[in-house]
Amino acid sequence: MAEKITLYNLPDLKNAADDAIANYLNSIKFKQSHSMIDVRLALGYSSFILAAACALWDYKLGWDATKLYTAIAVAIYTVLSGALTVWTWKVEQGTIYQGKAPSGDDLFIASETKKMEPVYRLKIAIQDKSTGKIKAFKISKPFAEFFNESGFFVPKPFQEFLATNISVVGKADSKRIQAASEKLLNENPELLSAVLNAGSEKEAEATGTEKKAGGKRRKA
Amino acid sequence: MLSMLQKPRQAAAQVLNFALILSSAFMMWKGLSVISDSPSPIVVVLSGSMEPAFQRGDLLFLWNRNLLQDTSVGEVVVYNVKDKDIPIVHRVVRKYGEGEDAKLLTKGDNNPSDDTELYARGQDYLVRKDIIGSVVGYIPFVGYVTILLSEHPWLKTVMLGVMGLFAILQRE
Repeated sequence: MAEKITLYNLPDLKNAADDAIANYLNSIKFKQSHSMIDVRLALGYSSFILAAACALWDYKLGWDATKLYTAIAVAIYTVLSGALTVWTWKVEQGTIYQGKAPSGDDLFIASETKKMEPVYRLKIAIQDKSTGKIKAFKISKPFAEFFNESGFFVPKPFQEFLATNISVVGKADSKRIQAASEKLLNENPELLSAVLNAGSEKEAEATGTEKKAGGKRRKA
Repeated sequence: MLSMLQKPRQAAAQVLNFALILSSAFMMWKGLSVISDSPSPIVVVLSGSMEPAFQRGDLLFLWNRNLLQDTSVGEVVVYNVKDKDIPIVHRVVRKYGEGEDAKLLTKGDNNPSDDTELYARGQDYLVRKDIIGSVVGYIPFVGYVTILLSEHPWLKTVMLGVMGLFAILQRE
């Protein structure tokens, strides 16, 4: 897990975060499913095998003897690649995690980054197990908030980000939910310094109810 | 690299990306073959025998269907000679007879004499099935890349190796 990332490499940051999502969710009893990538692999490898077979019979038997089979193979290959393209663009849409929450709801997470902008963007879709309704929304967080300056991934703020914003994750790991008041303080430095100036330990205790490390994080 | 072994699907997907680049290029080539009905729809000129029409390094596009009319005198055709691997690009200068069995004689524009010397032993003329296509278009010069690759085969190995490394090491 202690892999060092080049902080200037956006794809590296994204990949590390993608991997961290799977690790985290699987650790809190989510059941990961691989059906999307499996379909992609099946489509891709079957078209590759078809092309390889085509190359082989062309090499062994020559062009004239295999003309018809080559034409059929080209047609099937075109269809398969088209299906693969549609699958990755329209169905997968950059999905990096799909799985079942302990509560039974289905969770789909797609991630993306925009060029020259070090922000991790997630598209979340939650399918309710009883009604079947899909709730979709987007969340984002700058990479700087969960990678330290030497390039190591910092799990806690990242997991808090997920648990706070995604209801099914929060349900499964409630201790990672960031208290609303604490979030407010983090987002408004002036308010935070006002609270700190007040210097009342008790008040901090009261706002950060179940969070022990709350005080430490605010200084960061 | 080690982490790839722990995630077989990701590794398989990365290898697939590279494999699909190769197979798609190959199938596009075959698709072009099917459309033009030619085993080799694109050829590179290797000699100066057709100057000034074509120069070494020109990329030629071939068409091998006689939809409207038979191959006739004046057309530049590419043909194969029995037991010789390299296809030859020359112009049809004479034709006797009609259809599949017509006897064709070819000559390079820049050559002093016709091609009878280039044909196989005992062969005095070409027939339609020796021809793999008539030239219907060309791009000058770009074929030099393949001339370089075939004259220096190690370049191919290097290119494939570099492409493969990039595809496998980069996750994008």
